[in-house]
Amino acid sequence: MLKIKNLHASVEDTKILKGLNLEVKSGEVHAIMGPNGSGKSTLASVIAGREDYDVTDGEINFQGTDLGELGPEERAREGIFLAFQYPVEIPGVSTTNFMKTAVNQIRESKGEKPLDAVAFLKLMKEKMKLVNIRQDLLSRSINDGFSGGEKKRNEIFQMAMLNPKLSILDETDSGLDIDALKIVSNGVNALKSKENATVVVTHYQRLLDYIVPDFVHVLIDGKIVKSGDKNLALELEEKGYDWIKPGN
Amino acid sequence: MNITKDLKKLVSKEEDINLKNKKTDILDSLDLTYSLQKEEYKYTPLLKIVDKKFDLLKENKDQISQKSYEEVAKFVNSKFYLISVDGYFKSELSNIPPKVKIKKYSELEREEKDTFENMYQKHDDSKSDFFSSLNSIIHEDCLTISVDSNTVLKEHITIININENYDVNNYRKMIFCDKGSEISIFERFINLKSDENFSSSVSEIYQAENSKLNYYSAQDFKENYHYNSINVFQKRDSVSNFFTMSFSGSIVRNNLNICLHDKSCYTNMYGFYAMNDKSLIDNHTSVDHVDENSLSNEHYKGIMGGRSNGVFNGKIFVRKKAQKTNAFQSNNNIILSDKSKVNTKPQLEIWADDVKCSHGCTVGQMDDDAIFYLMSRGISRKDSISLLLSAFSSEIIEKITDEKMKSLLTELIKKQLEKFNDE
Repeated sequence: MLKIKNLHASVEDTKILKGLNLEVKSGEVHAIMGPNGSGKSTLASVIAGREDYDVTDGEINFQGTDLGELGPEERAREGIFLAFQYPVEIPGVSTTNFMKTAVNQIRESKGEKPLDAVAFLKLMKEKMKLVNIRQDLLSRSINDGFSGGEKKRNEIFQMAMLNPKLSILDETDSGLDIDALKIVSNGVNALKSKENATVVVTHYQRLLDYIVPDFVHVLIDGKIVKSGDKNLALELEEKGYDWIKPGN
Repeated sequence: MNITKDLKKLVSKEEDINLKNKKTDILDSLDLTYSLQKEEYKYTPLLKIVDKKFDLLKENKDQISQKSYEEVAKFVNSKFYLISVDGYFKSELSNIPPKVKIKKYSELEREEKDTFENMYQKHDDSKSDFFSSLNSIIHEDCLTISVDSNTVLKEHITIININENYDVNNYRKMIFCDKGSEISIFERFINLKSDENFSSSVSEIYQAENSKLNYYSAQDFKENYHYNSINVFQKRDSVSNFFTMSFSGSIVRNNLNICLHDKSCYTNMYGFYAMNDKSLIDNHTSVDHVDENSLSNEHYKGIMGGRSNGVFNGKIFVRKKAQKTNAFQSNNNIILSDKSKVNTKPQLEIWADDVKCSHGCTVGQMDDDAIFYLMSRGISRKDSISLLLSAFSSEIIEKITDEKMKSLLTELIKKQLEKFNDE
């Protein structure tokens, strides 16, 4: 599904990703772990197409399509979803209106008819249950005045609405208490299928108790330096990152 | 000034002796008013229209063209409407609401005249603003609107002013809201004249005790110059709500002066402007808190594209007697192009000590994080920007409680915001 080869990316002349390789297949869950500043969030943003980052070398291929020339909206329409570490607050636009526009633009790009009001509401009701989010929250401005937990639940709600093929969860556990973490993880697990894949970017092993990965990769200084199964995460939790750093 | 000769001729033709005296006084001090305008028009070169040698002398044409009829029909969106062409009120084209007296100043009966004679040029800014002075001298017959006590008009009255035949058109009106009355006005200007022109409009509004006024205006002046001055004098427990929306114009200057003369007066002053090309919008507002316990709440928001210029100047005066005043003001701007500009300035003068006042202004750009967030969900760049701009305007629109006015103005704003898509 996703093939990243020798990816180099920089922001304002600072090199962040320095030759990263990653392959994700349908039905898999991958966890990317690493210390602060290793490039985890940059990787998530670069896959989603954030224009602040320059891809200087390498390629990201998604289902046979080179993403290089595609803008963030085109990537989303191809089936890529990024759950933000810091979801943006947008006063004046309700989540409902936002999702209606998004769902219908994605449908339009595939040559499908837009959903009518009834069908859209039905879809929304169904997905709301998944992350236990209230209607009144969705009628309010996007993330405006939401608690940390509400923001993250809203991200997973949007993910459920858009039904992506590849979901990238960027530090979704940050700022969550244990109950919220469970709700968010349950949502992610419920959306998992053989046809889609999930990349979880995280600092801590804690989230991986709930969203169990098939592969764990350690990202240090812009490169994946070690890959393994879920036991690698446990080992990292115990020993930290130092033992794995190149040169040690 | 080379226009003085024309102005003298106009004053000499005035038949009403009272008016003639007032106009003569204004004319005598016009040079001085003109020379005092430097600070007030620092970023707004409207005074240059004086040198344009526009023809000030004109004759009332009784007929309006078929084109005007058709245009007017497009703008009529309420049961009641008042139409003026080139500064002349046309009662035969208007549909006057019951319980509201609408007349030309020259046609007022003796007893009606007393009210308006007392108001006339009393609370306007003709002593301090050159263009109000000019309007005072050259405006056509003044339109008077008188709302009887306790009259409540649910539907708004549309006022349509059409510039059709002349270089310079001047509108003047007085509105008298008697005790406990409530009306809403939606004012539009239409330019049918293809050449460059200047229009001015001065309004004097008196709100008696407990009266309520909602005043909406939408301005679309294309390549023309416009001066607008609205002056409100409020008595005890009265409420006024202003919504000023501006969309285009070579230079548009709005003065909104509100005097909260008594205890417990209340005013909301809201504005929204979305300009592109080489247009200039200047909103100068002032609110004068004279007595205790009054509240003013002002919020103007603007989006500037192209090579447009924005000016905002908000004055708040709190007099010594005006304890327990609440006065809030803010002005927020989004600049879409590196060739557009905003000059914004709050100006507070407070003599009372027990007051709550705040002010703030911001000038910023589109939020890239927000654009990326929306795009990452599959929404095109164009539509993401549209969503954010309409969200920016919604804070003002949400303040409109009349659903019909809300949808009318939302529609106008939407049409205007679409113009930014090409940038």
